[in-house]
Amino acid sequence: MAEVMSGESNSPRALAGVRVIDISTSPAAAWTSRLLADAGADVVLVESPEGHPLRRTGPFAASGTSIPEAQFLANKRSITLDLEDGASLEVARKLIAGADIVVSSFTPSRLEALGLTYASFGRPDLIMTHVTPHGMTGELAEVPGNDLTVGARSGWASINGTEDREPLKPAAWTSSYCAGIAAYGATVAALRWRDAHPGEGQEVDVAVTEVMAATFAPGMLRSLYTGKAQTRQSADDQLAGPVPVADGHFALTLSRAHFWRDAMNLLGLEDLAEDERYGASWFRQAHREEYSSRVAEAMSHWKKMDLFEELAIRRVVAGPVLYMPELRATDHLEARDYWRHAADDRGGPEYPGPAYQMTSTPQTLDRHAPRTGEHSDEVRQEVQS
Amino acid sequence: MSGPLSGTRGIVLTQAWAGSWCTSLLGQMGADVVQIEVRKRPDSWRGDYAAPLPSQVRDRPNAVNPWNCNPLYNSVNLGKRCITLDLGTEQGMAIFKRLLPFADFCAENFSPRVLGNFGITYEQMCESKPDIVLASLSAYGHSGPWTNIPGIGGTIEPSSGMSGMLGYEGGPPLNSGQMFPDAIAALNGVAGIVTALRHRDLTGQGQYIDLSMMESSLAAVGDAYLEYSMTGQQRPRLGNHHPSFAPHSIYLASGEERWVAIACEDEVQWRALAEAAGQGWAEDARFASMASRKANEATLDQVIAAWTSGQDRDHLASRLSAVGVIAAPVLDALELAEDANLRAREVIRDIDHPEVGVFPQVTLPMHFSRTKPQAPRPAPQQGQHNHEVLAELLDMSADEVDALIRSGVSGGGPPD
Repeated sequence: MAEVMSGESNSPRALAGVRVIDISTSPAAAWTSRLLADAGADVVLVESPEGHPLRRTGPFAASGTSIPEAQFLANKRSITLDLEDGASLEVARKLIAGADIVVSSFTPSRLEALGLTYASFGRPDLIMTHVTPHGMTGELAEVPGNDLTVGARSGWASINGTEDREPLKPAAWTSSYCAGIAAYGATVAALRWRDAHPGEGQEVDVAVTEVMAATFAPGMLRSLYTGKAQTRQSADDQLAGPVPVADGHFALTLSRAHFWRDAMNLLGLEDLAEDERYGASWFRQAHREEYSSRVAEAMSHWKKMDLFEELAIRRVVAGPVLYMPELRATDHLEARDYWRHAADDRGGPEYPGPAYQMTSTPQTLDRHAPRTGEHSDEVRQEVQS
Repeated sequence: MSGPLSGTRGIVLTQAWAGSWCTSLLGQMGADVVQIEVRKRPDSWRGDYAAPLPSQVRDRPNAVNPWNCNPLYNSVNLGKRCITLDLGTEQGMAIFKRLLPFADFCAENFSPRVLGNFGITYEQMCESKPDIVLASLSAYGHSGPWTNIPGIGGTIEPSSGMSGMLGYEGGPPLNSGQMFPDAIAALNGVAGIVTALRHRDLTGQGQYIDLSMMESSLAAVGDAYLEYSMTGQQRPRLGNHHPSFAPHSIYLASGEERWVAIACEDEVQWRALAEAAGQGWAEDARFASMASRKANEATLDQVIAAWTSGQDRDHLASRLSAVGVIAAPVLDALELAEDANLRAREVIRDIDHPEVGVFPQVTLPMHFSRTKPQAPRPAPQQGQHNHEVLAELLDMSADEVDALIRSGVSGGGPPD
């Protein structure tokens, strides 16, 4: 198969030769298989004739292309198969017979109804990764969920947002991404186990809600140790998050005494800087109203990147709220070669880079997001041959 | 059987949240993770050596040392052993380098200059262990003009594009209630290390993983970057709303701070919701299609909130879930700890810690049907495994370890 190789592709691929069949329909599972593809696995996406649900999910580009489709489905090949149709189901089963890994987001009852349970494949060497809202066992296994309910059930919504308003789910699809990353890691661990123990595949069960509950672990244990559930923050807490500056918002997280002293000196608030009581974080929290408006006023004269630069020189931990156009313009991400195009679509959309840089086996984006069934013929031929 | 990574060992220099939780997850997957801690510069999540004990821990009979009773530390260090070594001394560093050959992987989340200052860069570690996998988790990565700018979750969240996406519609950007970028970095660190271990097994080659928290956080809102690249537009903050689906929000149920999340992703779910509510919504022209519900979302939210305000949170969430509507109660931290489903699935377990005693904790959020991990050991006390690890790996006698402790190279608690 002729392929346009990406720039880095002379490097070995961590998952070269690994075959993945993705029968899933959720963003979390789609991200799992996207990460497998980025690491070099051949991922075939099995889509219903009407296409993966993310193709009908906004936001959309002017061309009508779905943004989530372009993001979550890239780097995969697509075959259309109606799993409710006997002949198509047979093709799916043949594909799975030649696969190392299956990625699914179906509930137990749905898998049973389709006849696609792990047991039905009769292959103890197969790895089947389930990525679902609540997991494949337990009282919620059949209950529908999405990133909103994950935010609710994991504890995160109860502490996101401000105390005067409703709880807030984590932004966008971040919960799904986290679960996708966890499921990817668990799947590669299972694969590595099978490398060392030939024939020993297994089912991997990752629940999005549980991954997010695990990311909430510090908040949960602190609440238990103090006997009081953590709550949402007050809207104007300069120590908790971004506050207004001249051209946007800026976060001072003054967790250490010298951060406070150096930041207050820079802001021209020498009396606050010199008052040693403010070196203790409990004191700053308890006496917020005594400095809050003065700090806010002083910050309002600063531009966010100027403040970031000056504080960085003083090694004070701080961060400007940056938006996508600003991130694109940073010399830092440019210098780290972060942005990328699909290797087979250099004129196509520019993608964000990988979450971490693997120096010997870099993740690559080889393929554009496929049209529904773009590789149906090709993949069918591979099954027959 | 004790997890898919049994037989794998990490000698790690992690701290705070991102690095600590990354290596804890690997430990909970079965790896033998030995945490090296420096008493002069203890893990910041152990808190101050002289900090007061938390209120619910204070009266527990064995709770003595505040640094072993910090909920932050104890929440993200399950499944590890801990030894202390003063890496600033020749002797401490020599022991670290003798331990490295026993490691399959190392991980660290110091500022980028620190490993070089200690003389243990990746290349230098390779002298002790040629095929080691090393993951560095840092604020902005180990190259580029921002590499030495300090950062933590609360500042990476803004600078990575995440805070710009989190907030109420029309409101200012917000940070999450806890430093979320650390958790994202930890999960990615696991992914990278496991991938590198597989590659090493197949090829004999280790590698270096450079994880920038900024980049891993930006990747977790990557679709919003792609949206900018495809449309030229920054996605606005959407609160609990969804770009396509309505309803999709969190509503107050009966009582104070009793919230319920409700969403409908298709017409079947919408009709089920309308029927459950019995308010005639299905016949309301303003709500006749997804597009019209989205266009009239403010009104839709008002009528739903008016209905939910008279409903019991948990009963409503169960009733809606049973008819296929996407719904859930908003649990607070204490309710999460008692969640029956997470306990039944053994993701939340009672963990018995030698000082604080038994508390529920969130453990490994991954289930393996063949390589089932054991319940994790509790977060280690500082230096708890000095004797055990140094005897096991380096064959050191109790007297030798005691000498290290007397000299301050090892030990536990505040340095003399």
